[in-house]
Amino acid sequence: MSSADKETHSGTATVSEPAPDFTLTSTAGKTHSLSDFSGKYVILEWINFDCPFVKKHYRSGNMQEIQKKYREEGAVWLTICSSAPGKQGYFEGQALDDRIEKENWMGDAYLLDSDGKVGKMYAAKTTPHMYIIDPDGVLLYAGAIDDTPSTKQEDIPKSINYVVEAMTASMAGEEVDPSYTKAYGCSVKY
Amino acid sequence: MRGKALITSKVIHLIVFLVAISAGLNNSPVKAEAVRVGHVEAELVSEVDEISPGQSIWVGLHLKMDDKWHVYWRNPGDAGLPPKINWDLPDGFEAGSITWPHPERIEVEPVTSFGYYREVLLPVRLTVPESIQIDDTVELKANPEWLVCKQVCIPGEAELSLRLPVSQDHPSYNTAWSDKFNQVRNNLPLKEHGWKISVSGDETGFSVELVKPQWFEADIGQINFFPYKQGVVDISSIQEMTTNDSGYVLLIDRNPNLKQIPDSLSGVLVSSSGWRGPDSEQAIEFVLPVTSDRPEAEALASINIWQALLFAFIGGMILNLMPCVLPVLSIKILGFVNQAGEERGKIFAHGLIFTAGVLLSFIALAVVLILLRAGGQELGWGFQLQSPGFLAGLSIFMFLFALNLLGVFEIGTSLTRLDAGQSSGWSGSFLNGVTATVVATPCTAPFMGSALGFSLSQPAWVSLSIFLFLGLGMAFPYLILSAFPRFLKLLPKPGRWMESLKQFMGFLLLATVIWLAWVLGVQAGVNSVAVLMIALLVSALGGWIYGRWGGQVSSSSARTVATLLAIVLILGSFGFSVSGVGLMAVDEGISYQFSGDGLDWLKFDPDHVAELIESGQPVFIDFTAAWCLSCQVNEKVAFGSEEVRQRIADLGVTTFKADWTRRDDTITRALAEYGRNSVPLYVLHTNDGEEIILPEIITPEIVLDALNKIDS
Repeated sequence: MSSADKETHSGTATVSEPAPDFTLTSTAGKTHSLSDFSGKYVILEWINFDCPFVKKHYRSGNMQEIQKKYREEGAVWLTICSSAPGKQGYFEGQALDDRIEKENWMGDAYLLDSDGKVGKMYAAKTTPHMYIIDPDGVLLYAGAIDDTPSTKQEDIPKSINYVVEAMTASMAGEEVDPSYTKAYGCSVKY
Repeated sequence: MRGKALITSKVIHLIVFLVAISAGLNNSPVKAEAVRVGHVEAELVSEVDEISPGQSIWVGLHLKMDDKWHVYWRNPGDAGLPPKINWDLPDGFEAGSITWPHPERIEVEPVTSFGYYREVLLPVRLTVPESIQIDDTVELKANPEWLVCKQVCIPGEAELSLRLPVSQDHPSYNTAWSDKFNQVRNNLPLKEHGWKISVSGDETGFSVELVKPQWFEADIGQINFFPYKQGVVDISSIQEMTTNDSGYVLLIDRNPNLKQIPDSLSGVLVSSSGWRGPDSEQAIEFVLPVTSDRPEAEALASINIWQALLFAFIGGMILNLMPCVLPVLSIKILGFVNQAGEERGKIFAHGLIFTAGVLLSFIALAVVLILLRAGGQELGWGFQLQSPGFLAGLSIFMFLFALNLLGVFEIGTSLTRLDAGQSSGWSGSFLNGVTATVVATPCTAPFMGSALGFSLSQPAWVSLSIFLFLGLGMAFPYLILSAFPRFLKLLPKPGRWMESLKQFMGFLLLATVIWLAWVLGVQAGVNSVAVLMIALLVSALGGWIYGRWGGQVSSSSARTVATLLAIVLILGSFGFSVSGVGLMAVDEGISYQFSGDGLDWLKFDPDHVAELIESGQPVFIDFTAAWCLSCQVNEKVAFGSEEVRQRIADLGVTTFKADWTRRDDTITRALAEYGRNSVPLYVLHTNDGEEIILPEIITPEIVLDALNKIDS
């Protein structure tokens, strides 16, 4: 599928359909469009560092581990913050850079969506909220990071990580199941 | 004297009461402290000030949030997490799960959540054990966890405790909290409300149709649907409500990411005005299958009459293969071996008479069932085996039949005639048909369950037709065999082997007697079995006397005396046992339990089941009976599997055994609610309210498949 096709796609993201294209600016000041990564797996992660559910996955190192794993396997990891200015999770400038460093974030780009446009396009409801887009630009997975809605780090080893499940299945040429789960977490602070 | 003692005891009570009050002034016996954590004040509270042994009380977690902060409902919606209570209770105490009052919608564009602002009391049913000591004080401890959010979310937890004194008296209500408990009970969703609800679904969403009860004249106000399960409906979209002649229709958008229309929809409907008129209860609950078309009145019955007749016919045929019919098959096989040498026309006539025997028994059964039900009795398929007297009578009949086959005595030309050259034996074929039916009743074959259930909800002629088709199905293979005796030719020629077969069949019948005696034991206790054994002995004596002196070789006077004596002994033992086992019957305390399967079966209690389902916990119900052989085979096979037991334990499924060995109206009613009137019946209620009815023959795989539908 060409990028032109995707740009004409409007409305919200639906599993098994082409993922809507977007363009956002990263903390490094660069603009990235989803269509730039055509031919690669793209993982989107909605973030709010102060949300206890996000903390669960960052303080335990769980999120960074999968960020690293899939980047090494050739996927692109985009972390998107849709917190509006003044709301929880919104940082700018040096404060943001410091925070990203402190949290030991390992993604490709941390994108700012302070007007919430992309978050709403993807119907991102919680932090974390995970999406996987396949090399053809089709939305493969949308939903929770794992099957244990809690804020406790000790639950992580007992959980099934849906992102890992979906990536493993898709890379092996198998059907992604589940391809949609109910995300859990704090609400995105639009 | 007595009056004086009474007054004294009252005075003592008063003194104790006054002491208790004065003690309470300094040091309140009900000790609970609200703990403040972050933006929440949490407290463990009880509706009563004192508890007594064996009682069931309401306790609750009271959460008081700071202004604009909220906690979540059981389904938190787009974001959030429901509160959880981890109990640490003294030995023997049992806490149910949280009963959720209906939530409010919490909307922060574009995120919609369900929860509670300001404060919420989350009630929990607590069972007090019989073993606690009067005048002791018990301490209930809990470690609740919650997520409280405003703009941001903060997880919280607390160590809470509540001290309650134990007393023998009636519980005194805690004035500070009983109002709150009453209030919260009004906010719990009603299950019985008189509204008829049906759900249909298509690609875009669900249409919930609400038919008003006749007495409802008020305005329902705005209706809001809160789903139990996450991810099924698009909760942030607007629910459109329309009014029609019979009531209301609520349109709810489906989650567009779902690939299929879900099988069921469950949740709470909240009316701004009240479901029983203004200011009445605001929430009702439903758990319904989703139909793909708009519901039509007649389509609501899950099967129609033609299907029911077909199922009855197939079910009847399969009935021949069920474990409870297998011993009787022996009688039938004998019958056909007998006939194998006969001429064609006669064989077919035997087949017809056998069929007539089956059909007439089925009709008799149907008529008795219909009449008794019309008289208000709660009965179902196999009901006669719930009567100890019937069991005793049937045992004696089978026992004598066995003795006859074993050659203790022969009955003239009437019952089973093994002489292939001579014909007759009409009554034998007829009796075979009757016996086969009588013994078949404790079994439900696949297909039969729904046909029977359907039949009893229908007019009498429909019920009769269904029973008739059941009988036809059961007799069909024999009728075919007798119409095409070519197949019978495949059997070996009559000869000495037939005598051996006949005697061997006698042992199979004795095995049936053992089984019946065991059922009787389960139902009516060991004394009844003793009564039955004596009756069997006496009737055997009668049979022996008849066989020894009642035959052609004896003088005619000896024959008359022997025959009379035999009749007296046999009828006497019938009468003695039928009345005797009834008298000896033990009323309570005995119940059939399949032990050793490692599962913790609870006695079936509809209220308890409803409570668990309501609180979103998975429940498995095994409707069974000692006299139902398929039930026991099923249980051995399915619950004997380590994997099944492990899954049940892992998923926290509460298992109930509904033992229908004896008459039990509660269980009969429960069966009827599932559209059945026979055992076995296996029902799994998943934690999101789906109701799965398993087939009549279950295997570990079938049970595991069903268990997989539970969201862990």
